[in-house]
Amino acid sequence: MATSTSIAHVESESPLRHALGIVPGVLLLAAIGYAGKFLEHFFNTYAKSHHWTFPNIEYVLWAIIIGLLISNTVGVAKVFQAGVATYEFWLKLGIVLLGARFVLADVLKLGGISLALVVIEITVSLALMTFLGRLFKLKPKLISLLAIGSSICGVSAIIAAKGAIDADDEDASFAMAAILALGALALFTFPAIAHGLHMNDVSYGLWAGLGVDNTAEATAAGALYSDAAGKVAVLAKTARNAFIGFVVLAYAIYWAGQGKAEAVTNKAAFLWRKFPKFILGFLFMSLLVGFHAFSKDQVASLGNLSKWAFLLTFAGVGLGTNFRVMSRQGLRPFIVGALGEVLIAGLTLGLVVGANRIWGL
Amino acid sequence: MPADKSSPPARSLSLDTWAVIVALALALAVKFGALKSVPW
Repeated sequence: MATSTSIAHVESESPLRHALGIVPGVLLLAAIGYAGKFLEHFFNTYAKSHHWTFPNIEYVLWAIIIGLLISNTVGVAKVFQAGVATYEFWLKLGIVLLGARFVLADVLKLGGISLALVVIEITVSLALMTFLGRLFKLKPKLISLLAIGSSICGVSAIIAAKGAIDADDEDASFAMAAILALGALALFTFPAIAHGLHMNDVSYGLWAGLGVDNTAEATAAGALYSDAAGKVAVLAKTARNAFIGFVVLAYAIYWAGQGKAEAVTNKAAFLWRKFPKFILGFLFMSLLVGFHAFSKDQVASLGNLSKWAFLLTFAGVGLGTNFRVMSRQGLRPFIVGALGEVLIAGLTLGLVVGANRIWGL
Repeated sequence: MPADKSSPPARSLSLDTWAVIVALALALAVKFGALKSVPW
């Protein structure tokens, strides 16, 4: 998703040519991801053999850093762009496969808690972003896009809403740039704050899933803390993503009522069209495991396949983040986004701490 | 501009649908032994 600011859309004439066109970029994602894994192992081994106290830097962070360095120095060459843009596919594939690592009872328990927190988070985020947007005199549709992006799922939600409310390309670019820049910052700030607060894996995972907007960055922020936190972050973020259709529909109806967007004729079809279908895949996979369709080793294999898919995603997060391109979008949407995100991060942290006291996460 | 529009392997199905199809294909491959013990 972050690719949107730096990677051009690549047209192709035939499916075969399209498939061949993505190969170099996918290989680049794999090379960077594997380099991240190698560096984690290398530094850990080196530090241990020399009796150094060196913090464990996870492969996730290495892969993102290498991607960021390439994207913000030499840039992503055209030959790689189509393949690098596939990282959202790897993210969704990883999430569906991750369903195999959840027992359905956990999904229902944590998913239920997540849903309750998500409803509060979305309501407050929408109100807060609308207030801040009006305070800073942003354009009304840009405010709607920022509110949708920060309350649900970042760039996907902005893309879904853009067509539904007839927003300008420029407004969508502004909103996406703000959400992406803040997502990149969250990768470094969320784990640091959580370590400072000694949060447990489940609490932190919930916080990352609720507080970080873009699904790829939320997944990475969770995985940066621990494997278990990464799983919970994906679950919480998935619960949040499930609301995309409802919120976009509400905004579409509002703007149609203002005479500034097309009316929604079939609301059920609209909801289904906007619903992220990979969530159904995630639940189905969890259901299969619940019915013992796979042996323990097979579940471990599916979990590892999910990790490989995420590895490509994390490389893509770095490669798709170009701060120069983002800075061209202007400062005001970024300030509104930053203010809102800091407040939302504080609110979601409070929600998770409260949930931990009530339900003992 | 969005990655969603450029990344699916084919244009007739959505990215989400492709992700689910590929995941199910991998799950079947693991289930029936075509993919044995995937390492990490």
